[in-house]
Amino acid sequence: MGETHLYYFIRGPLLWIAFFVFAGGIVFRTVQFFKLTRKKDPLIYSPTKNHKERYGKSSVQERKMQFAISLKNSILGQHQAVAIFTSLFHILIFILPIFLLAHNLLLYESWNFSLWSFSESTGDTLTILFLFLAGFFFFRRVAVAKVRALSRASDFFVWLITVTPFLTGFICYRQWFDYHTALIMHILSGELMLIAITFTKLGHMVFFFLARFFIGSEFSLGRGTRTW
Amino acid sequence: MTETTFRPIDVKKIQKMLTPKKGKMKALLSFCAHCGLCAESCFLYRNHLDPKYVPAYKAINSLGKIYKKKGRVDRNQLEEMKELIFKNCVLCGRCYCPLGIDIPSMISLARTICRSQGVYGVFPYSAGEP
Repeated sequence: MGETHLYYFIRGPLLWIAFFVFAGGIVFRTVQFFKLTRKKDPLIYSPTKNHKERYGKSSVQERKMQFAISLKNSILGQHQAVAIFTSLFHILIFILPIFLLAHNLLLYESWNFSLWSFSESTGDTLTILFLFLAGFFFFRRVAVAKVRALSRASDFFVWLITVTPFLTGFICYRQWFDYHTALIMHILSGELMLIAITFTKLGHMVFFFLARFFIGSEFSLGRGTRTW
Repeated sequence: MTETTFRPIDVKKIQKMLTPKKGKMKALLSFCAHCGLCAESCFLYRNHLDPKYVPAYKAINSLGKIYKKKGRVDRNQLEEMKELIFKNCVLCGRCYCPLGIDIPSMISLARTICRSQGVYGVFPYSAGEP
């Protein structure tokens, strides 16, 4: 009976608490970011604009060359494996939980609606891929000297927080070990991850979009209208 | 030759310099994922291939340490940082962080704090010599 009570507690109230902390964390980080930054002063001299006025627009060949150079210096050009793996990893961490069939079934049971979802085998394959990518990052942290020099115990802890929900979910689907315990571990670790986004360096989930789109710099992805 | 005597570290002065930028620097330090992807954007790292030239390593082990100790650093610790922020970095501002962390500003603040306590990067450092 105790286990059932625990199950209903962690999939009921605790889940809501986790969601609220997660949402609150996103709002807090966003507000904090806008408080810490200010609008950029208007640009008086723009090298690129000046260049265009004097020499006209650069030709297609020139632009192709510029693109090739910037691509070569980007992470994709320097470390193809890391760039591809990290992109996949971060896409999967978003889409896997949202479009998993089992999660959508639970959603349908509770609220009578569900999102589009992967087939069971696709979800399973993607989870294996995710675990492989996580293993790659662990290996990289241990084996590559420059990353090892930066690593602290907290980095491994955060890695563990990120991987556990996926690993336990994988175990649940295969029904290895005791299913009920694995399920409780899965839900708890998932909630822990949501909460950790507010308090640990997993907050880069919010910070990445704010910093790369709003802060003006050579590498900004957006218009870059703000500055620190 | 007389031995040089240093004045004691002025912790209050350091803390006064840390406070105005605390929000920004704490955020930047806490969001660094320690991924090491900034390494190749540093031409000094490309030349030496030593982890001590990774931009994040320089920022974390200088400004990060000062913030961690809330400004209560001693002269030996500042002297240790000296190599990282004066010799291993020329503040060219070319470091690229995939998360958008402003690394040069962190190293620059660490330099300012070191300079205020009489820790400078002197000639051999500026020429890249140990």
